[in-house]
Amino acid sequence: MAKKSEAKAVDEKMIVGIDLGTSRSAISASNGKKKWVESYVGWPKDFIAKKVVGAPILFGGEAVEHRLSLDLYRPLKNGVIKEGTARDEEAVKELIHHLISLVQAKNDADKVRAVVGVPAESFKVNKVALKKAVAEYADSLLVVSEPFAVAYGVNALDNAMVIDIGAGTVDFCIMHGTVPNEDDQRTVLTAGDYIDQQLYNFLEERYPHSDFNLNMVRRFKEKFSFIGEPEKAVKVDIPVDGRPTKHDITDEMRRACESILPAIVELMLELIAKFDPEYQDVIRKNVILAGGGSQIEGLAEYLEKVLSEYGESKVLAVDDPLFSGSDGALALAQDMPEEYWTEV
Amino acid sequence: MTIRNPTQSGRLKSAILKGVYDENLRIDGDLPPADRNGQILTKRKKKALTGSLLFLAVFLLLASLYLDVLNFREQPATIAGRTTAQTEFSLGETGVVEMSAPALLPAYSSAQESYILRQPGIEPVELNAEKLLDYSIILNNANVRLSSVFGLDVQTIVIDPGHGGKDPGAIGALGTKEKDIVLDIALGLRDKLEESGKYKVVLTRDSDVTMSLTERVEFANSGRTDLFISLHVNALPQKRENLIETYYYGPPQDEETLRLAEQENRGSGLLTRDFENMIKKIGNTFKEQESATLASSIQHSLFTNVKKYDKDIADAGIKIAPFVVLLGVDAPSVLVEISCITKKQEELKLNMPAYRDEITSFLAEGTTRYLARRNLHVLKGVENGQKERSKSS
Repeated sequence: MAKKSEAKAVDEKMIVGIDLGTSRSAISASNGKKKWVESYVGWPKDFIAKKVVGAPILFGGEAVEHRLSLDLYRPLKNGVIKEGTARDEEAVKELIHHLISLVQAKNDADKVRAVVGVPAESFKVNKVALKKAVAEYADSLLVVSEPFAVAYGVNALDNAMVIDIGAGTVDFCIMHGTVPNEDDQRTVLTAGDYIDQQLYNFLEERYPHSDFNLNMVRRFKEKFSFIGEPEKAVKVDIPVDGRPTKHDITDEMRRACESILPAIVELMLELIAKFDPEYQDVIRKNVILAGGGSQIEGLAEYLEKVLSEYGESKVLAVDDPLFSGSDGALALAQDMPEEYWTEV
Repeated sequence: MTIRNPTQSGRLKSAILKGVYDENLRIDGDLPPADRNGQILTKRKKKALTGSLLFLAVFLLLASLYLDVLNFREQPATIAGRTTAQTEFSLGETGVVEMSAPALLPAYSSAQESYILRQPGIEPVELNAEKLLDYSIILNNANVRLSSVFGLDVQTIVIDPGHGGKDPGAIGALGTKEKDIVLDIALGLRDKLEESGKYKVVLTRDSDVTMSLTERVEFANSGRTDLFISLHVNALPQKRENLIETYYYGPPQDEETLRLAEQENRGSGLLTRDFENMIKKIGNTFKEQESATLASSIQHSLFTNVKKYDKDIADAGIKIAPFVVLLGVDAPSVLVEISCITKKQEELKLNMPAYRDEITSFLAEGTTRYLARRNLHVLKGVENGQKERSKSS
């Protein structure tokens, strides 16, 4: 009898997996819905701005679009909630509320259980700030590291390595049949944002009279990023004195994308070398790339080539980098036994 | 994409899910105690245990009061205020607690209460309130992270750009001065650390002014400094390679370090009578633990990142040295030799704002990593898996 009533209690709650990212945040819900939003939150600067934008708060692309009328926040810079900054905490809170509202239909349960993925390195700091941020909108919460959520989602729980290349951080995680501890997880800060900045600098150097900004550069990267030899030259339209002009940015794109490789290769080899020697060859065949950076053309092949010097290797990218973290977090939340949930 | 691994099983998943639950409790600082079989107690079991303990505590209190009343009736009050009348409380199969009940309840009686804990197969252990409140066991244990035990946080970070004003510090072959490099990096580091909005970051000097070592120490100690980071650039004409090293306070480990300390301490403005007070500060377990951990984190971040640009750079590691600023400042403190200005290539790079900005980022990364992990370990460990090489290097 008790089990039946417990099962009923579970059904009354909506379960969600959330991946809080620097650039994008995603949510996967037990009702089958999945949504993502750019991690921007903006409040109108004054009552005129409020009238212009027509809402008390804007999110994602809409917020970026109206940025001149808004106090715009990207609260997860470097993958860390800026705990202590009231407005940033408020922004995270609103972002989570917004994400939940995107997947929560009227007939869904009011109570929400969430597993939230955060960057591995700042686990504790984020957890504290998250609890504050989520308390109003989730009834129970568990926090896991982002790469671990990805690993769980693809069932890579033993003898595998996940490299989650986000905007603010590249998170590494070795899975060996248990929850990864600190030694199994590493983070480097040269990630997607770093590529953007590098590309911006290179373009500014080469095309000093062209008009572009960091947002444009980010879009170029998302569309054309590559490592090694490109299939064709990368040419983009950039205004010069107001006139859209074709620019060849192939070399700059390659240099910028390859700038994050040394750190990734070094840490990847270091973590594998520290692993049980008997299983190092198994890990080399189970390297999984996740996050937006996994879409860089030629990256998986490059890393596989580096690893193949040590023996047979396999590097795969997840099918859906946008939702791999939130899907993994949802899978974990759904598998989590009832007794392990604690009220926020 | 789903990775199929033949070794996986439902059991593996269950263990991992339980691990996630435990990990979350651990981060909360709310890890439940292990039961007799070494298993972590779930919330429900914990509640039941709490209830039992509460009941036991109430029972002990009532029994104690009852005995006090009996003792008061049987014996006249004395100034000594205590007898050895002992009562035994049965704790089921787990053992027996004998309690020395005071004959009357003078104001100071609570500090004198003693308890004897008896368990089958174990020698009786006498516990008294004074011993229970004695933190010296923790304070003197070098393996216990005091910042974790006491949950100490960081609010104010003082960054000390070395030298300045009339004192240029080391000067490179091209005329680059140490005082200018470290000031620029310190200003950048302040901005980066303040980005989080969590810390107040102040500089001992934010312009090219002369400042003695004692003034720097006084500056740090007059505010509510929680961390102190002193920035310097090495000058080692006798060495071929560029190197990075980080120091915290301690007796010198080698002659070279002693010479460097002499060089950096020059013009400290200290008097002989100050020395005794300084020595008293030696042996501060907390400061040493945190300084060593911060040094380890900064050194690791700086070296591993700079090595990506400069394959020949040497990791001189974490060292212990008697620098005046490290000893004088009450808060955990480190001195970082971020680079070596006597290497011509390095001097050229130090003149580039982008390179200085990179170094600033690596310093910020090391400091942030330390701050993020500060209260994670109750037992002292080595940050980043890097071994402290203070004694060997």
